[in-house]
Amino acid sequence: MSPPRVDETDVRAASADSAPSMRPTRLHGALFQPIGDEGRAELVERRLIDAITRGHLRAGERLPSESDLARSLGVAPVTVREALLTMRERGLIVTKRGRNGGSFVTDNADPMMFAREALRSSSRLALRDLGVHYAAITGACVRLAARRADSSEVALIRRRLERLDELDADQQRRLLDDVQVELVALSQSARLTREQMKLQAEFSPFLALAAQAGIDAAAQGESLLRLSAAIDAGDPLAASAETEELIDATINALIRLQSDPH
Amino acid sequence: MHSAPAQIDGVVDIVRDYFSQPIRMLQSWVNVLADELIEARSSSALTRNRIDAIVKPYAKKTLALTSVPVYGAGFIAAIDLLADSRSHLAWWQGKNQSQLILASQSVNKELIDYSELEWYRVPMVSGKPHVAGPHVDYLCSDEYTITVAVPVPGEGSFAGVAGLDLLIDAVERDLTPQLRAMGGEVTLVNAVGRVVISTDPSWATGDSVKGSRLAELPRASCEGVALDVIFDPNNGGLSGTP
Repeated sequence: MSPPRVDETDVRAASADSAPSMRPTRLHGALFQPIGDEGRAELVERRLIDAITRGHLRAGERLPSESDLARSLGVAPVTVREALLTMRERGLIVTKRGRNGGSFVTDNADPMMFAREALRSSSRLALRDLGVHYAAITGACVRLAARRADSSEVALIRRRLERLDELDADQQRRLLDDVQVELVALSQSARLTREQMKLQAEFSPFLALAAQAGIDAAAQGESLLRLSAAIDAGDPLAASAETEELIDATINALIRLQSDPH
Repeated sequence: MHSAPAQIDGVVDIVRDYFSQPIRMLQSWVNVLADELIEARSSSALTRNRIDAIVKPYAKKTLALTSVPVYGAGFIAAIDLLADSRSHLAWWQGKNQSQLILASQSVNKELIDYSELEWYRVPMVSGKPHVAGPHVDYLCSDEYTITVAVPVPGEGSFAGVAGLDLLIDAVERDLTPQLRAMGGEVTLVNAVGRVVISTDPSWATGDSVKGSRLAELPRASCEGVALDVIFDPNNGGLSGTP
């Protein structure tokens, strides 16, 4: 008997109103996965989406000029033009002509819209598997960190979290990500750190979404503090357990959000 | 406790010589760069493009150093130094010595706040050269690295740091034979007791010597580079487990 095709149905139903450029299956993290061989226009698009997601480009705000974008991303202007065309077709930006012309983020752009889109078009299975993957790699890193980190190094990282409640939502997300990679780098493993950073890029928008669904920035900060304490104490199992607990809670919150998107 | 054997001084000399070369290279251009930045800023806004153009020749000169294996080099701007960006790295690295564009890395690194990282923070505060690491340099090289950094004078406080990366692999290849030639087992550790390199294969780069047998052995500081040499006069089979 063939296995139930529940997930494909979920995805098909969900993708009915998602953008035509999104391909079904395994696309849940496609928007946030590291740039592979897709070509440079994809890079420009992703970076602009990233900027919108982080609130660095707000609704109605003007984009940098084509030549500025080209320079800052290290791509040719024609590549930027290609990306802007795609984004226009997807309804993410509008172009106005005339004196105050240029490309602008659409008025109703919401920073969380891409994360919500990714969540909507993902299956539960894919979400849980992302959680498993992320937990496995991050867990391996923090276990190594617990064995190899020096107290002074952990103390410096822990201190960075003290500023968390002074920051706005985007800055909080940034700080939590920065602290996470610093703790991971204490593993002294370049390979594992590289792997974890890719997964962090994929998982971070979901962590931002989870912040709106029960696992707020303060809770994530507290989890990282407990993780730091475990690393400082030289306790690999406690470090692993703390990481897994946060990831489980996040995935569960996301799945709840999937069924009830308000 | 043993008194420091004579060979330890020889090892200290080797280590100081090795790491003072990258420091001297950076020191050879930080003041000139400082002047150029001040001048550039006085004529018009200091942008990323202008900084890149100013720094590039110094980065390339540093990458051309042959006495140590320089993997990456450049200038890391102080926060808010530039007009068009809060932070910026003017950095060239790798086999092709190509410019590092943080925003176009496969993981977007543009927004990482480097102001708290050791190789930036310490020289900016101390005003002195600093050798940081070994550490996983997830911003630039993506490898296990030693970063040498020298602060660049600015108007008021520092304009940023001049830096270069040495990959541990390459440092290991260079230094281990020289250290081995001194006899005994030599382990080089940083300020928190982390092994940089060791002639003893049972000590891996990244391990901590704290609380181990090595922590009790004769040790000497390499002045100016914040590294210590631990010397184990026992040869081979007598050294036991770490």
